Amino acid sequence: MLYNLNAGLWQNCVKIFTSKEYMNMLFEGLGCTLLISFGAAIVGVLLGTLVAIVKIIPSKGPLMKVLNVICDVYTTVIRGTPMALQLFIMAFVIFAIRGFPMEIVAILAFGINSGAYVSESIRAGILSVDIGQTEAGRALGLPYSKTIFKIVIPQAIKNVIPAIGNELIALIKETSIVSMVGGLYDLTLVAKILGGGDKLASFLAPMTVVALFYLAIVYLLTFVIKLIERRLRASDKR
Amino acid sequence: MISVRNVYKKFGDLSVLNGVSLDILAGEKVVIIGPSGSGKSTLLRCMNLLEVPEKGEVWLDDQILTEVDPDLHPELQTKADRKAFKKQYGIDINHGRAKMGMVFQHFNLFNNLTVMGNMILAPVELKLKTKEQAIKDAETLLSRIGLLDKKDVYPATLSGGQKQRIAIARALNMDPKALLFDEPTSALDPEMVGEVLELMKDLANDGITMVIVTHEMGFAKEIANRVIFIDEGVIKEESAPAEFFTNPKDARLKEFLNKVL
Repeated sequence: MLYNLNAGLWQNCVKIFTSKEYMNMLFEGLGCTLLISFGAAIVGVLLGTLVAIVKIIPSKGPLMKVLNVICDVYTTVIRGTPMALQLFIMAFVIFAIRGFPMEIVAILAFGINSGAYVSESIRAGILSVDIGQTEAGRALGLPYSKTIFKIVIPQAIKNVIPAIGNELIALIKETSIVSMVGGLYDLTLVAKILGGGDKLASFLAPMTVVALFYLAIVYLLTFVIKLIERRLRASDKR
Repeated sequence: MISVRNVYKKFGDLSVLNGVSLDILAGEKVVIIGPSGSGKSTLLRCMNLLEVPEKGEVWLDDQILTEVDPDLHPELQTKADRKAFKKQYGIDINHGRAKMGMVFQHFNLFNNLTVMGNMILAPVELKLKTKEQAIKDAETLLSRIGLLDKKDVYPATLSGGQKQRIAIARALNMDPKALLFDEPTSALDPEMVGEVLELMKDLANDGITMVIVTHEMGFAKEIANRVIFIDEGVIKEESAPAEFFTNPKDARLKEFLNKVL
């Protein structure tokens, strides 16, 4: 049995890398995974920043109170329900429109999910900046918004980068569940198709290759995050 | 110049200020001393509304910074009257703060900005000066404190004494009418206290209004026009330094001076 499993891994890998058809399918899958991840990351970071700012502002007016409640419900519901379920609701309930591009459905579903986690990371980052920084800004006569945007957030970003990086890495891998709603050929689904009876009739090689693809993406992302972090830490140098 | 009128402040159930009134005249140097937890820092922070008093008023010259306290204005009977009064005499808190520089115990230089960035951020953002003017003035101030060569470095590379002198220069670049000092030397290494006190003495000679919360009694004796002893949230004694240190009247102040002198 183990022998059977192993048999053909090498040959099948060679087949995949030498077949133009298989490679095209893989790159299409890679493109799809990257598109969803990238789009969702942008939606998530923007949404997360907005929600974090709403939550951090000392709420006084009725508008801020309403916004605060909305943001609380958002993070609670999104973090309290499974990603797959949220994806189903997006695809089969909210955007159950024939011909509506599935890429957008997936980007929104993953982005909205990611935003809930990102918002908490950003909130923690803002809170981690010493209150003295805010006080010094206010004591100089700067309004709250200017103090936050010119002094606190630039310092918070640096504290938040590792947590955001973590979230983006998780996001990239989580996109593999889009195959559950159909209509999108991401890396994981391509691996499944390549392993089918009409192609290689074995899952080992395509799954291994696709695993390496994911690993490469995450490795590259980690590298970029480290670069950004190093650049942002310039003001800490002694 | 700064007038604190019957101010009360509570943190939760703890009353920190219990009806403090204090008038600071233009050009005056007032030193506030007191045991820890006496409310001296809170009083200073009430002056620029970093702490908002529950009751009482704070005035900057002829403009009111806080809400109108009905108990201090029996003639203003209705809410509408008080609103009209506030509209007539009130000033936007940010404008008020821009006129009063504050120096903190922990310096609070903006860590994400260079020394020059720290110096010019507020005056430029608040359109008090053009960027060119702010930079020019900052350079003058930095050379006065002997730190012009540090203008492009980040605060993390500076010593405590350097940070505090730059924090003072940052406040001065706003061309403030008054400076509030909240224990400016308490977080410094002993050998750096001197350089900060020297700078403060220099400023005192320039004639700017100063309100200083400190534990440096020698310094208080030397520069103060008036020393104030605060304990349990009330002013227990206030007099000229000669009288204050040699002939204290309040029993608690006598005990305090015995311990610290």
